[in-house]
Amino acid sequence: MKILVVDDFSTMRRIIKNLLKELGFTNIEEADDGQTALPLLKQGNFDFLVTDWNMPGMSGIDLLRNVRSDPKLASLPVLMVTAEAKREQIVLAAQEGVNGYIVKPFNGATLKEKIDKIFERVES
Amino acid sequence: MTDTDEQDFQPLVDRDRRLADARALVAAIENEDEAGEARLIGELTAAYSGNIFDEVGRMTREVHDTLRSFAEDERLGALAEDEMPDARDRLRYVITLTEQAATRTLSITEDATPMVEKIVDRSRRLKDELAKVAASEADNSRLGSVVGSMTRYLDATTGSGERLKGQLTEIMMAQEFQDLSGQLLMRVIDLLEQLEEKLVGLLQITAPVRGDKSVETGAGKPGDAEDGVGPQMPDAGENVVKNQDDVDDLLASLGF
Repeated sequence: MKILVVDDFSTMRRIIKNLLKELGFTNIEEADDGQTALPLLKQGNFDFLVTDWNMPGMSGIDLLRNVRSDPKLASLPVLMVTAEAKREQIVLAAQEGVNGYIVKPFNGATLKEKIDKIFERVES
Repeated sequence: MTDTDEQDFQPLVDRDRRLADARALVAAIENEDEAGEARLIGELTAAYSGNIFDEVGRMTREVHDTLRSFAEDERLGALAEDEMPDARDRLRYVITLTEQAATRTLSITEDATPMVEKIVDRSRRLKDELAKVAASEADNSRLGSVVGSMTRYLDATTGSGERLKGQLTEIMMAQEFQDLSGQLLMRVIDLLEQLEEKLVGLLQITAPVRGDKSVETGAGKPGDAEDGVGPQMPDAGENVVKNQDDVDDLLASLGF
């Protein structure tokens, strides 16, 4: 499975990448905001997108909107891993079609649980 | 009425002139001379309103002087032009330092994890091999005893290795602080930029002669949920989820 991890902080990209590796995912690419992520997604045959919300250039919520409005990417599972913790933001992300939402700080077990849940739902 | 009030409303023309005007006004009203009435009211009012203009002038001078002293305040100039940019640079440096520290720690945990995995893996394999040897030489009691001690040692090594791997993951996760603290610091830097811009703008308006230091444009205003508002402080109120369980409950209420 090919995964794209989008976060403007390299520390966080590395942490998520390491956690994903521990869960057995090895085909992982990185981008530092929505603007660099979108062209990668359009040409890259990704199976899963993990994105932060608050990033310069294009935010995670705008990236999500772009993904959902692109016929080729519309069904791509998207997990948000973000420090944005306002209720209205979580509701907005849900309305825009996010598949999972994790607030930072988080841990590996939460990441595994959410990923399992997303793929259970996608497969069913 | 205070002395100041009386002084403020001193008419500009003398008493005889005002009396003459007042009588002419009464006559105009009696004679239904509307044009004359309007002209006389205007003249009488003008006799007083001159003072209002004086007052406005005095206030304008006061505002001007205050702004002038504001502009000439060296401390404010230094604050806007040197100290605030300096504070921003220092905060940016804090982000760089924490990033370096987090990267260093991550490199170490990334190096150490496969080492531990190898130790655990080899210990397991060695234990299996020893068990086979012990089984094939079941009548050799001395060998059995040595294999027994080595097996206990290898079990302990495997257990410690598994725990160590978990602890390395914890150390890696702890580096998350760099993202969260970095985001909070960037918000403060953004706020400083906006304050600095406003202060420099005000100083330029009040004293155009002051050095025309270029004003950096503030990068967006914080606070818009759409753009992201960054990590929340503890006790941020009811509108903010406190942990992952809150997020899950909220999403569950939306049918997730």
